[in-house]
Amino acid sequence: MKKFAKLLFRSKTGTLGFLLTILIVVLAIFAPQIAPNDPNKINAVHLLKPPVWEEGGSTRFLLGTDNLGRDLLSRIIHGSRVSLLVGFFSVVVAGVIGSFLGLMAGFFGGIVDSAIMRLSDAFLSIPRVLLALVVLSVMSPGMLTLIFVIGVTNWVVYARLIRSEVLVIRQLDYIKAAYIARCSNSRIIFRHILPNVFSSIIVVSTLSVAQSIILEASMSFLGLGIQPPTVSWGGILADGRNYLASNWWIATFPGIGITISVVGIMFLGNWLRDVLDPKNQGIL
Amino acid sequence: MKEYLCRRILQIIPVLFIISFAVFVLIYVAGDPVAMMLPSDATDADRAVLRTALGLDRPFLEQYGIFLSNMMKGNLGRSFRYREDALGIVFERLPATLELASFSMLLAVVIGIPFGIWSAKARNSFMDIFITGVSVLGRAMPSFWLGIMLILFLAVKNPLFPVSGRGGLEHLILPGFTLAFGIAAQITPLVRSSMLEILQQDYIRTARSKGLAERVVIYKHAFRNALVPVVAIMAVQIPGLIGGALITETVFSWPGLGQLVIQAIYGLDMAIVQAAVLVIALVTIFFSLLADVLYCLIDPRIQQR
Amino acid sequence: MNTSLKVEGLTVEFAGVDGDVTVVENVSFSIKPGEILGLVGESGCGKSVTSLSIIGLLPDAGRVSSGAIRFEGHDLLKLSGEEMRKLRGNRISMVFQEPLASLNPLFTVGEQIREVIALHKGGSSESVRRKGIDLLEKVGIPMPEKVYGSYPHSLSGGMRQRVMIAIALACRPGLVIADEPTTALDVTIQAQILELMRTLVRESGASILFITHDLGVIAEMADRVAVMYAGQIVEEGDVYSLFERPLHPYTQGLLKSTVRIHDVSDELDSIPGTVPTPKEMPGGRCRFADRCSSASGRCFQEEPSLVVVGDRSVRCLNISQGEETV
Repeated sequence: MKKFAKLLFRSKTGTLGFLLTILIVVLAIFAPQIAPNDPNKINAVHLLKPPVWEEGGSTRFLLGTDNLGRDLLSRIIHGSRVSLLVGFFSVVVAGVIGSFLGLMAGFFGGIVDSAIMRLSDAFLSIPRVLLALVVLSVMSPGMLTLIFVIGVTNWVVYARLIRSEVLVIRQLDYIKAAYIARCSNSRIIFRHILPNVFSSIIVVSTLSVAQSIILEASMSFLGLGIQPPTVSWGGILADGRNYLASNWWIATFPGIGITISVVGIMFLGNWLRDVLDPKNQGIL
Repeated sequence: MKEYLCRRILQIIPVLFIISFAVFVLIYVAGDPVAMMLPSDATDADRAVLRTALGLDRPFLEQYGIFLSNMMKGNLGRSFRYREDALGIVFERLPATLELASFSMLLAVVIGIPFGIWSAKARNSFMDIFITGVSVLGRAMPSFWLGIMLILFLAVKNPLFPVSGRGGLEHLILPGFTLAFGIAAQITPLVRSSMLEILQQDYIRTARSKGLAERVVIYKHAFRNALVPVVAIMAVQIPGLIGGALITETVFSWPGLGQLVIQAIYGLDMAIVQAAVLVIALVTIFFSLLADVLYCLIDPRIQQR
Repeated sequence: MNTSLKVEGLTVEFAGVDGDVTVVENVSFSIKPGEILGLVGESGCGKSVTSLSIIGLLPDAGRVSSGAIRFEGHDLLKLSGEEMRKLRGNRISMVFQEPLASLNPLFTVGEQIREVIALHKGGSSESVRRKGIDLLEKVGIPMPEKVYGSYPHSLSGGMRQRVMIAIALACRPGLVIADEPTTALDVTIQAQILELMRTLVRESGASILFITHDLGVIAEMADRVAVMYAGQIVEEGDVYSLFERPLHPYTQGLLKSTVRIHDVSDELDSIPGTVPTPKEMPGGRCRFADRCSSASGRCFQEEPSLVVVGDRSVRCLNISQGEETV
């Protein structure tokens, strides 16, 4: 643990990333406690109030209110829940689907491998946004759908990772020996494949979470993602767009929130990649 | 070179099949097209007649076959909303998207590469750190938010540019820059690290030992080599570029495919969605292929394989 | 003028994390026109750094702290960057060790030769091209026209090195620095390349500073030899007499540890110990003393200077006749 902290502090961006990520996670988990107001409470009296530092602002609504008088700060804090949930679980979905397909491709080879590779080419050759839009168009929108959709757009990187590791492992003599000794496939998977791929998966996943957050925000912005009354950053941005001319704050602050979260996660991911580089294996 | 091209095209064919199949399944799943095409007071008998006429009572695979043959003939159904051939409408809107995407890619390259070279030359200086910081922000910012902010500051608060729509160059600048910025933010660090690595290479030392001016060493020898991985990565970025264009179009009300698709999804106009998806996929694949070809042209070593 | 190159008291330092490190100390030697001087030593003895200092291509961390390098009436260390660039590739050229890594993979061989000719000699594109093709022919490349339009990766190692030599000789330099030019090549090709270098350079009257760790190559190529150890020259002299009767204990050790065909013995002789790193360079005494079999107490207390003994220079306290040179 101490070693970890020492390693971390050596990197300024890594430390910053780690702290920002922790901040977002804390905000998300304790949103109801931290947010000063109810994010969905409509205050007819305080419609479109500006942030506290502008004329007409108040300390009750630090970042101002939206067109329904809802506190922007509280909405942004609550929005982090959705972003993190979707970001994290979509990566889990992608990882599960991708790892499964990668294992199939690597283990069985031949036609199965070719088919899965062609499938991955197909997924890579169309824009993720388009794929998400299209699937969302036929499924009813909502958080679970969104998690599934975003996950499905991202499986290829995991499949390729696992597949290449399987191909390498298959060649190793001691695996052939294990095979002969009738070790079950799952044993081989867990004891040999996963440990080698583990650090790559961690790094890829961190960066995928960042991308997924942006993708979720985009979908919610377009109205095809998280549906009201659940608060999402993309949704707030969409609302704010209609009031851009005179009430700039509604569209501005959620974007800052997204950017900061993604920067934090990206820095953390980059630091993890540097640290988990096989050359540094001894350290951890 | 020719063999490489042939090989790539062969690789694309199964991909196209998969995509067309997926699109077909999509429509199949999306609900009853018949109900959408007829007025609500149609009788069940009417629906049955239409269903047979459209071949909707045939087995799944047969329907797929019909779909494919229709697709080859360019018939992708009629738009529910526009009451016109879906493919035709898609082609009408395609140029706008292509205009935005190409302009943005060009802008991204024009911005990204010089800054990448600058930060490599001024390594670890303040400028380098600043440029690196800006590219981090560029990758973290959602492009639609950047677009909105640009509209806010450059079109609303200070009316320097039009807020939306397509027209002359002034209409292209804001959406183009919005899309380009994210891509430039990927290009710049790549150029930087590529240049730094290249400058360590032996052939750079040879170039200097010939007495070539430093400018020539950097821009002729180092840069050309540094470009190779950059082009390779850019080829992979093309789907992202097109995807970004789709979203940027909605922010700026740019009359391209992005807007079309999203409106079609809202309106459940599946013929348009189908046609648009196929065309966008084709366009993306085509440009990725072009980028691959460019990569081959730049690096003579590839042709050996 | 009977010296082509004269290096005087060259000292080179490298900036390190914990301060500067002296990598080359007080090195002096000279080369006559048309002469081949071999610079021999183990890895890390400073021979490459010396050569890079001459052509002015030290990495950023390196710095010449004192000395002079006289060539064609100039002190190279006092020239501006612009003036030095005019000499590089033109009057002084260099051949490097790894021909594949040393040629730009994205440009044709022809372009890489054309560059240096067009830069220093100029001429119409046709004449430059012709010169380039002739050069390729001269260095023994078959089908020179075809090779002119080829890329480095389609050539063999030996061919690439011939191309490098062609580039080095393109402007008829007065000095060619060859840094381990055959080390990365097949032994059979090695002989061809060495032969090529010898003939071509003799023909043009240029001098060669030939750097290597391989004594066999030195024996074949060099007229004179300078032996470097731990940043200093420890012995210098005519190649035949030095090989026949090495004076410095290090030179003796080197020659003994070279395997010869008729010397079939059970063990390989080696010099015990290792070269001190630049950081731990012992001051105030002979640097080789720790590993020297004939070291005396004095060797640990006094720094030997380079002393002329007949036609040789030696840096050893036990060889006391003659005047001090450095």
